[in-house]
Amino acid sequence: MKRTTKDTKGSETRAFREVSCLSWFFPLLALSWIVSPALADQNLETARRRNGDAVVAAFTDAQASIQRSSAVIQEGRRRLAYGVVVSPDGWILTKASEVQSAGTLNVIVDAETFADVRVAAVDPIWDVALLKVTAENLTPVAFASGEPPQGAWVVANGATSRAKRRVLPGIVSANAREIPASGGAALGVVLKEGGKSLAIAEVSEKSGAHEAGLQPGDVIVAVEGKKVSKPAELRDQLKDRKAGSAVKLKIRRDGKELAVEVRLMARGEMADEQSRNDQMSGDFSPRRTGFPRVIQHDILGARDSVGGPLVDLDGKCVGMNIARADRAQSFAIPAKEVQEITARLMKSKNE
Amino acid sequence: MGGLVSPDSPMIRRFPLILAALLPWAVWAEAPRPYFQDQKAPETRRDLEAIQKALVAALPKARGATVGIEMEDGSGSGVIVSPEGLVLTAAHVAGGVNREMTVILEDGKRLKAESLGLVASTDCAMIRILEKGRYPHAELDRSEETRLGDWVFSLGHSGGFDKERGAVVRLGRLVRIAESTYQSDGTLIGGDSGGPLFDLNGRVIGIHSRVGEVLAQNMHVPVREFLAHWNEMERGDFVGEGPFAKKPEKGKGFLGLATEARPEGGLKVTKVGRESPAEKAGLVEGDVLLKLNGKDLKQRDDLQDQLKEMAAGDRVVLELLRRGKAETLTLRLGEKS
Repeated sequence: MKRTTKDTKGSETRAFREVSCLSWFFPLLALSWIVSPALADQNLETARRRNGDAVVAAFTDAQASIQRSSAVIQEGRRRLAYGVVVSPDGWILTKASEVQSAGTLNVIVDAETFADVRVAAVDPIWDVALLKVTAENLTPVAFASGEPPQGAWVVANGATSRAKRRVLPGIVSANAREIPASGGAALGVVLKEGGKSLAIAEVSEKSGAHEAGLQPGDVIVAVEGKKVSKPAELRDQLKDRKAGSAVKLKIRRDGKELAVEVRLMARGEMADEQSRNDQMSGDFSPRRTGFPRVIQHDILGARDSVGGPLVDLDGKCVGMNIARADRAQSFAIPAKEVQEITARLMKSKNE
Repeated sequence: MGGLVSPDSPMIRRFPLILAALLPWAVWAEAPRPYFQDQKAPETRRDLEAIQKALVAALPKARGATVGIEMEDGSGSGVIVSPEGLVLTAAHVAGGVNREMTVILEDGKRLKAESLGLVASTDCAMIRILEKGRYPHAELDRSEETRLGDWVFSLGHSGGFDKERGAVVRLGRLVRIAESTYQSDGTLIGGDSGGPLFDLNGRVIGIHSRVGEVLAQNMHVPVREFLAHWNEMERGDFVGEGPFAKKPEKGKGFLGLATEARPEGGLKVTKVGRESPAEKAGLVEGDVLLKLNGKDLKQRDDLQDQLKEMAAGDRVVLELLRRGKAETLTLRLGEKS
């Protein structure tokens, strides 16, 4: 509903879109939307705002740390994400889903550009990729020992030029916790109704099922070696699995049985419709749920500013930015888990 | 409607003032303005730490006072400002006066509440927790010392109440001050509506109202707008006209029953509409209505004449006879479709 109203002074006309709601997932009362702000009031100059130059200048240690240890991951000259430098010899973590489908990558660390970039390993549950560049003298992040309390300053890479990283400050803004996959982990198929077998009627375009080449008409006959013939049995096989994990299916197509591996995704992230809150959020991370544990902060990053380190006032790494969930909420993997993931990926890349 | 909580109503007298509760108020009221509020920008590590220290110190109490608000058709946020459970929120969250809703405390406890008055032009509203208790609450800033550029923080249940996550805190500066609006650069989103904006002494200085397309456009109603209409809102008045709440229309009140007059007086209920307010309140066929809000019901017109003057959400007290026994039922009118 759109309405135009005049305030009592008649000096300004505002258009409000009244909203009573609603994402399909959480019903909530959204904020109204004011299109044109009033002028002729007291305004704070840009430099003094939270993200302004005068404020940002005070975060010297954090800035130095981000400059050295936040990598810029690019495809050509387009920035895809940032990365966390974890070793002097060129190992870098980044957000997997932002770089996996890209073509040739290049990486900037400090002022140096590296052209030979290889994706060495991926943790699909955490959505973290381990990249390798040929380097010798990079400065890895120094991890903080404890977790920052709510209200503590945290700093992330906000923008970048070829030679310089710019930082954005914010605070830890909610309890650390698991972010369950929105709508649960799913294959991304719609089954034919009333059939005697698990025949696929539709395959969602953004799904793991689509990636794996499943087609309408295929019949799912087994999950991880267990026979399934009813929707409830299929649900049962999938219910405790995590978004990002792969599941082995046996399917029947044209009378032949095929083995396929399908990556599960959050059901809510395969849908096309946007909630009201999404519409007011700008560009958010397509993969923003299904993380075993995150720190939440309020830094106003963009979709392409995740993947890099989250640091404290000392410049110590307290986490790795993993999703911009919406206008007001961003998630980072806590330092302890980042170190565990790094160790695991370093081990698996050798195998 | 009206007079639900007039200053001398028994509702207030039942809660004696407790001195212990006044003590922290005195301390908070005199908390000096932190030095960093008068800096153009933090310059050193020490300045940043001072901001962080003030925020961390103010958070526990501010969190305890921040509530989720749920109604039939959505959810928002609010802040408790008295130990008896008076809650400030946005008019577009309360949606009207005399409405039923649920207030959710930080620990997930759900409490029945009802909306009192509102100011439709500026997005102020007051609601009241109906269950007796002593509630965690925040102090209002009455000092008028809030200035452009002040560091402030927002709390609210972004996207709806989530106990595990808790209310989400965002830090920012006051980037614009207009007559009935504060703007901060700590981002808000749906579900935050009605939640509190605090100064770094932990005093409520505003209530979240709306956002613009730009991330730095997050609008709050200053607390002075609430103070200016405090008594009217406490009384349950619908103040002003404007975009944030629609005035209930007279004559749209809906009860949902059919009656016939009895020769000896009173109206006999001949039919109760399914799912109607009358049915929900427990009225059944055969009940004899004697009085509505204290006025005698002798013929059918007596009932219609009174309903004509009432709106959806209005409270109705019915005195009736059920199988010869006197009973009293209270209900709220629904809306005629």
